[in-house]
Formats: sequence, C-alpha cells, structure tokens
Amino acid sequence: MLQELTFGFPILSLILFLPLLGAILIALLKEEDLIKNAAMGVSLLELVLAVIVLLRFVPESAAMQFSERVAWIPPLGISYHLGLDGISVLFVGLTAFLTVLVVLYSWDTVRHQIKLYFVTLLALETTMMGIFVALDLILFFVFWELMLIPSYFLIKLWGGGAERQYAALKYVLYTLLGSVFMLVGIVLLDLNYHDWAVVHHIEPAYSFDFLQLLTIPIPADKQVLIFWLIFMGLAFKAPMFPFHTWLPDALLEGPIGMAVFLAGIKLGTYGFIRFSLPLLPDASKNQGVASTMMTLALLAIIYGAIVALIQPDFRRLLAFSSISHLGFVVAGLFALNYQGLQGSLLTMINLGFSTAGLFFLAGFLYQRRHSTQLAAFGGLAKKVPLLATYLLIVGLASIGLPGTNGFVGEFLILLGAFQAHWLYGVVAVTGVVFGAAYFLWYYERAMLGPLTQAVGQAIADLNARELVIALSLSVMIFWIGLYPSPFLRMMNGSVQALVERLDKGAVAGMAVPTPVLAHRAGRIGSADARERGSFPHPVGTE
Amino acid sequence: MIFNFSMSGSDLLLMLPEILLTIWLCVVLIVDFAMPRLPKEQLAYLSVGGLVAVLLNLAWFDRAGVTGTLFNNMFVVDRLAIFFKIFIVGATALVVLISIDYVRRFRFFKGEYYFLVLMSALGMMFMASANDLLSMFITLEFSTFGFYVLVAYLRDEVSSNEAGLKFFILGVFVAGLLAYGISLVFGETGKLVFSDIASAKATPGLIIGFLLIFAALGFKIGAVPFHSWIPDTYHGAPTPVTAFLSIAPKGAAFAILLRMFFVSLATFKPAWVLLLVGASILSMTYGNIVAIAQKNIKRLLAYSGIAQIGNLLIGLAAGTKMGSDAILYYLLTYLFANLGAFAVVITVSNQIQSDEIEDYSGLNRRSPFLAFAMIMFLLSLAGVPPLAGFLGKLYIFVAAMNEGLYTLILVGLVNIVISMYYYLIVVKKMYINEPTDPSPLTVSAPMQAVIYVSLAGTVILGVYPQPFIDWVVAAGMMFSHFAAPAAAAVMPSVPPSALPFGG
Repeated sequence: MLQELTFGFPILSLILFLPLLGAILIALLKEEDLIKNAAMGVSLLELVLAVIVLLRFVPESAAMQFSERVAWIPPLGISYHLGLDGISVLFVGLTAFLTVLVVLYSWDTVRHQIKLYFVTLLALETTMMGIFVALDLILFFVFWELMLIPSYFLIKLWGGGAERQYAALKYVLYTLLGSVFMLVGIVLLDLNYHDWAVVHHIEPAYSFDFLQLLTIPIPADKQVLIFWLIFMGLAFKAPMFPFHTWLPDALLEGPIGMAVFLAGIKLGTYGFIRFSLPLLPDASKNQGVASTMMTLALLAIIYGAIVALIQPDFRRLLAFSSISHLGFVVAGLFALNYQGLQGSLLTMINLGFSTAGLFFLAGFLYQRRHSTQLAAFGGLAKKVPLLATYLLIVGLASIGLPGTNGFVGEFLILLGAFQAHWLYGVVAVTGVVFGAAYFLWYYERAMLGPLTQAVGQAIADLNARELVIALSLSVMIFWIGLYPSPFLRMMNGSVQALVERLDKGAVAGMAVPTPVLAHRAGRIGSADARERGSFPHPVGTE
Repeated sequence: MIFNFSMSGSDLLLMLPEILLTIWLCVVLIVDFAMPRLPKEQLAYLSVGGLVAVLLNLAWFDRAGVTGTLFNNMFVVDRLAIFFKIFIVGATALVVLISIDYVRRFRFFKGEYYFLVLMSALGMMFMASANDLLSMFITLEFSTFGFYVLVAYLRDEVSSNEAGLKFFILGVFVAGLLAYGISLVFGETGKLVFSDIASAKATPGLIIGFLLIFAALGFKIGAVPFHSWIPDTYHGAPTPVTAFLSIAPKGAAFAILLRMFFVSLATFKPAWVLLLVGASILSMTYGNIVAIAQKNIKRLLAYSGIAQIGNLLIGLAAGTKMGSDAILYYLLTYLFANLGAFAVVITVSNQIQSDEIEDYSGLNRRSPFLAFAMIMFLLSLAGVPPLAGFLGKLYIFVAAMNEGLYTLILVGLVNIVISMYYYLIVVKKMYINEPTDPSPLTVSAPMQAVIYVSLAGTVILGVYPQPFIDWVVAAGMMFSHFAAPAAAAVMPSVPPSALPFGG
C-alpha cells in the first residue's frame, strides 16, 4: 500500500485546479451564452482528463498512482500530497461525469445570476476533486470544509423551495459540527505520529501524510477514540442515520444540480474506506465499533426505506431512499471482508449514476409541473413515454434489478454481510424488498394508470439535452450492470490491500516487523494486544 | 537597588526604531501647525512614510539579529520584541490609511488625530520591549493614554463620548489594579525584572499580585470576565480607532503576557494553565454566543474579537514553544482578517452612514469587490480553510492538544460552529438579500490598498505560510526551553478524563 507511482505530468493538480481556473475565467466573462459554453468546455475538458487518468491507471495494483508530493507547511508536517489508488480513482471519473451532466441540465433551467451559478458549480467541482485526490489529511480537510461554501450558495441562491435559507444554514452548521470533531481526530493521529517520531528521531516530527501515518503503530484504545471522532465528521456528511436530518431539507430545497452532488457523490462513506478503515483497522474490527456501525447501517436501511414508502414528494422519497442506500454501503464496509468492501465501493459509484440520475429525472418532472408532489402526476407514461422509460431504467438500477449496475453492488454487499453474520444479511435483504416496494409503488401512481386531471394537456417529453443526460446515465448503468469487470479490476488491488491491512492491524504497525508481533497481530482487542498497544509509547516520558 | 545610567551610543542604537518614530511624530505635529493649509490627508501619507521607515529599520534589526537590553534590563530588544514591533507598526500604517476618509468627519483636530495614533503606536512599541514590571506599567499606560483621546474623538456624538468615558474610567481603575499588583509582587520578591522573578516562591502576596496583573492585562486584551468595556467602546469609537484598538494593543499585550507567563511564571505552569483555560473558555463561548444577537457590525466584530482572544488564550494555556509560535501566527492572521473587515466596514459606513448589518443587504450588487473581500475576511475569522484563519486555529489547536487540553479544544471547536452561524448571517445579507438602495459604492485608493494588502495576507498566510511560520518560530526561540517538557507532558497512561480539563 505504500508503493507510489508517479506520472510524468502533474495531471492530478491539473484535474484539481482546472475547474477553479475555469471558474475564474467565467467570472471575467460577460455574455450569457459564452458563460454557458465556457462552463461546458471546462467540464468536458475535466472529463477528458479524468478519462485519461482512468485509462492510464494500472489496474489490480494497490499502489498510489499519479502521485505528487510537495512539502507545504513542513513545521506542522502538512504536505501537498495527491494520489489515486483503486479506492479513489473511480470517484474522480464520476465527479467529472456528473459535473458535465449538471452543466448540461442547468443550461436553461437556471435563469438568474447565471455567471455566479457556474462559477460556484465549478468551484464545487474543485473541492470535490480535492477530497478524492488528497492524501494529506489536512489537505483533505481543507477541501472537505471548503466544499461547504459553494454548497451553501448553491442551495441558498438557486434552491427552489421556500425554506432554502433554513436548509442551507442547517446543512453548513450540521456538517461543520461533525467536521470539527473530525479535525480533533486528525490532530490526534498527527500527535500519535509525533510521539513515535520523537522516540525514533524521525524528522520532521509531525506528519498528516496518509501514507506516513499508515507506517506507525497506533494503540488500540486510541484508535477507537480517533475512530469515533472521525466518524462524527463522516457520519454528518454522508449522512448516516441518525445524523441525516439535514439531507431531506437540503435535497428538497436546494437546486437539482446540488442535489445530484449531495446524493450522487458519497463523500462520507468514501472517507470511511479511504481513511478510517486503513488508518484505524483495529478500531474498525473492534467488536463494539463494528457491531455499532452495522446496527446503524441496518437501521438506516430499514428506516430510510420505510419512510420513503410514505413520501408523497418524489425528492423527499429520493432523499430517504438515499439514506437507505447509504445504509447498504456502510453495511458492506463494516462487513470488513473482501466482498463487502468491493460491493460498497462499487455501490458508491453506482449511486452516482442511479440516485443522481433519479434526481435529474426529478428535475425533469419539476421543470414540467413545478412540483415533485405526487398529486401533480398520474398516468404520465402515456404523455411522456421517454421520460417514463428512463425513469423506470434508472429506478430499477437503484433498486438493484439484475442486469443493472445496482444489482452487482448490492449483491456483493449482501454476500459480504451474510459472511459477517447471517442476521446482518437477512435484515439487509428486507431492505432490498422495501426498496423495490417504494419505488415501484411510486412509479405506478405517478406514471401508470389513467391520466389524472391535474396533469392537464401541455406536457412535453424529453428534449434533446435531457435525452443526452438520460441516455448517458443509462449507458453507464447497463455497462456496469452487464460488464463490471473493468471497474472491479481497477479497485481490486487496493481493496485486497485494505483487507490485508484490516487483518494485520495497526497496533503493532508496519514499521516493526518483529516476528513475535507479526504472528499475534491478528487477535486484536485481546488483553495482550492492548499491552502491545502501549508498546511504542515510552516516548521518553515515564 | 542601584541604577547606573551609563549609556553609549551603541546602546541607543537598540532604541533606534522608537527614536525614529518619536522624531517623526514630532515632525507630523510640527507640519500640522506650521502648514495649516496643507490638506490633512497629506499628514496621513507623511505618517505612513515615517512608519514605513520604522518598519524598514525593524526589518533590518530582524535580519541583522540585533539584540540586547537597556536600562538595567528594563528594555529588551530580542526577536520576540522585534516581531511585535513589526506587527504593531504594520497595523498602525494600515490603520492610518483606513482613517483618511473617516477623518473628514471630525470637526476639529484632524491633524492631531494622526499624531495621537502614532503616539499610541510608540507606546505599544515600548510595550513589546518591556522586560520588567515598572516598564510594563509605564508603557501600558503610555499606550492607553492616546486611546483615551482617540476613542472620544467624535465630540458631537453621545456614543463616542460615552465610549471614551467608559474606557477611561475602567482603564484608570485597571491601572490602579496593575500598580497594586506590581507593588505586591515587588514587595514579596524585591525584584522587578521578569526573568529575576522566575525564582520566586509562591507566597499568597505574590499570587494575589500576579492575579491583579493578569486582571489588568486581561482588561487590555478584553478577555472575559474583563471584557465589559469592549462592546460599548468599540461601538462608540470612530471606526478606524476601533480597528486599531481591536488589533495593535492586543498584540502588544500578548508580548507582555508571553514574557510574564513563559518567563516569570514558567515554574508555576500547572497553576496558571487552569486560569487561562477558564478565561479562554469563557471568552470564546461568551463572545460567540452574544455575537449572534448583534445587529450592528461593529458590535458583532467586537464580540467576535472577544472570542478570538479566547482562541489566542488557548495557545497561552498550552504553555509551550509551539503554543507561543501559534499565538504569534494567529495574531498575524487576525491582523489581516480583522483590519480588512474593518476597512470594508469603514468604506461602507462612509457612504451609507450606517453600521447596521441590515444595511449590508445586497452589498454584492452595490460593490462586488467589497462583498467578496468581506466574505474572505469573515471566513478567515471563522477559520475556513484554506484561508489564514484556519491555519492559525489549527496551529493553536495542535499546540494545545499536544498538552492534552482536550476539553478546551472541544469547546473551541464547537465555538467555531457557533461563530460560523453569525458570520454566515452577514454573508447572507450581502449576497442573498436585495439592496434597499442599489446605487453602487466606490472604494477610495487608500482603502483599496488596505483591502488588497489584507486580502493578500489572508490568502498567503493560508496558502503559503512557510516563510511566516519560520519567522514566528525564530521569534519565539527564547521559549525553546519549553520544548523538552512539552514531549514529556504527553501521558498515555493516564486517561485524559481523570485529570481536570484533560490534564
């Protein structure tokens, strides 16, 4: 996991800052058409770069690729360290892909302060890319926090709901509250490194570097503390049940463009698989932690699905289905086995197509009826066959019908969950049933049956721009559904390394390959592991 | 005690910046009297010219490593003092620039305004060099003296007079406390120089004496519970004076606090950590919670300033070399963000004659530049990465967590969330609300200069902090004796909860 491959050209920096440069460029433009074209150009260029990265990425490898590292603030051990491995590489592609679609969607649906909108949107893309490419925990945190600012403006300025003011503030303050706890966790990791570095005379004595932090031992009880601190940040952002209350508000009140990112880019769960699991393997395996996480996940699955069942508003329904899906992702993660992790990772990507896709379709519906309330629909399929078809495709992907991408991911997660404990698997499966129920029931009421009076006469089917969005989403859905192996191969190496890391643990650490420590390292949480936990700690203090 | 006053020319060299500034403020006063026709803004540029000369002089000291003491250790020039002098002189130069438009509001004594500003700066420069209890008292009073006049400069406004009176009465009262505290400490130890006191034993008189001195310095920096003068004084004073008051004296007072706590009281660290932790928690929480309810931007900045002081006290409570570095760095970030925010406030208030937050509605439509600058400054104050404020807070938090002050850190972090709320309310007014009067606002050249400098500082300190960190680390080198105990203070065997405030 420590191996790093560099690329002759700082392509990740380019990917990171291209949208920001584009935003600055757009800020200088005056004409409306020019602004839209420039935004489209920048996001397409970004997508091209992302595709290049995906093509040049070496699959089946656990190495950090396209690595770039420059010391940023050496006294504090903060570096500008970028890199991609199998865990993060697909997210870069997904973010670039969704941004293009959002720009396309916003083309004529955003009608006021157009310049500021695209500037904010591209700035948001930079921050999200930053979250995925950062390998320094402070750099990661910088983008993590920074993301709130464009999000705040997007929800507040271009949101459709009357309560968008409240939703934007709630979103920012909730996630900020979580993040500050995460910051404490990050600093604790740094200080743990510091203790180690002082004893072993390593300079500089501070480091926030993910790869360096992986090499040092972390005492088991400290890991649990840090895990919960970081958990706060990730759980609020994800959001996991019961920290989810901001999500329905933000998704309902905010613009579709923002909702696509909030629901489609799974930052919180990415944080778990990127940082929490590898840095804190023993905490993650800790009986208490793993079962708590599993319980939260299963509660989220059931709770989200049941609440979604009774939502009369399509966007609220999607919000709760999103919470339910996140439950699946977390369940897969904390099954802590190969299938579960792989399924979770794939599902995170899948949701970027299916949940985000459903938000696009919700946007199409909203454009037509200025509401996503069920009462505004009924029997639409006769009037808008294309829209109805794509809604069905994306919806079936989100409930995991075989042949679509959702099936592959969910199947792997269920497999992992059953391996972890049969009970987990059984509960998760009921979630699948509920998921099918709420979507199909909604679909039936909204699209099938006789035309209701509310629908009226004038309602157009998808226009060309919308068709491009729907079509490209469908292509991705079927591609991953029918031929997932290129995607699985990309993540395979890193997932395998992560599983090994979880087996070995970090109490003893990689840097002390004493045979005695190595052969016992599997039994974490036992009394002798705790003893060894304090092993690296003499630090010249006692 | 015998004072011998033999002094050579090379000794006086150590005071060159102060001497330069003294000459210069006389020049400003003479020019003001001698040339009554001269437009008063020329005096401002004259003052800035002098300040820049002093700044260059200080930079030379810093580069050349000029150090030494004068007058039997009363006056010390070390890198810490030079750091604070640069801080003070830089802040003063920016304050003079943002005053130019505002001074037109004064009916009388426009020229003397600059003289008084420079004189206060001179006092604060001496504060940065104060190395014993007597020079501390004299310099503290000297610097405050100018402010007594400056705060009440708007003679026709009741609020300004009220501010001046409150500040004066409380200030004089605190001077009494300080003198009493000093006399107690001197009575117990027979010593005045900070480093000599370090060997003293903790007698009741000494403790009470130091508590009184701490109260006086707490008044100076506006830490809760010594903050009561801040809101009204900040509100009533002419806005550039408020800006000045919110930054420069804080820096100077921290120079003295650092010397006192880290040099005189180094051996009593376990005792004063609790004191500082308490003051810090109170300041942050009180400042931020009360700030939420403010309708006036100056009052909002006043309360947020109290909270920022609470953050600085975290670094002091850490009581390590890293803590002192973090304080210096934080002060730099605070300088740019706060002065920049005040520059925007002054620009707006010069044109719409109001400081109410309500009147910031739609600022983005009226002047995108001002709105953008303001959002950057507020976000830096809130500690949003990658702006300067984030790094300042991170630095302080790392220093404090190194000492295991977890409770303090958690309170500090929750306070960041609270502060974000009221900063965002201002942001919302500027960007989301519609302006009642859409006429565009203009920004004068000196204002633009200050705002650009502050913006640059806010961004550079966040994005490329390396040279500045090197600088503050070098400036705090005299506290490096704290480095060794710092590592030892990490006690993994004791759970943090078993100790008060997590150790």
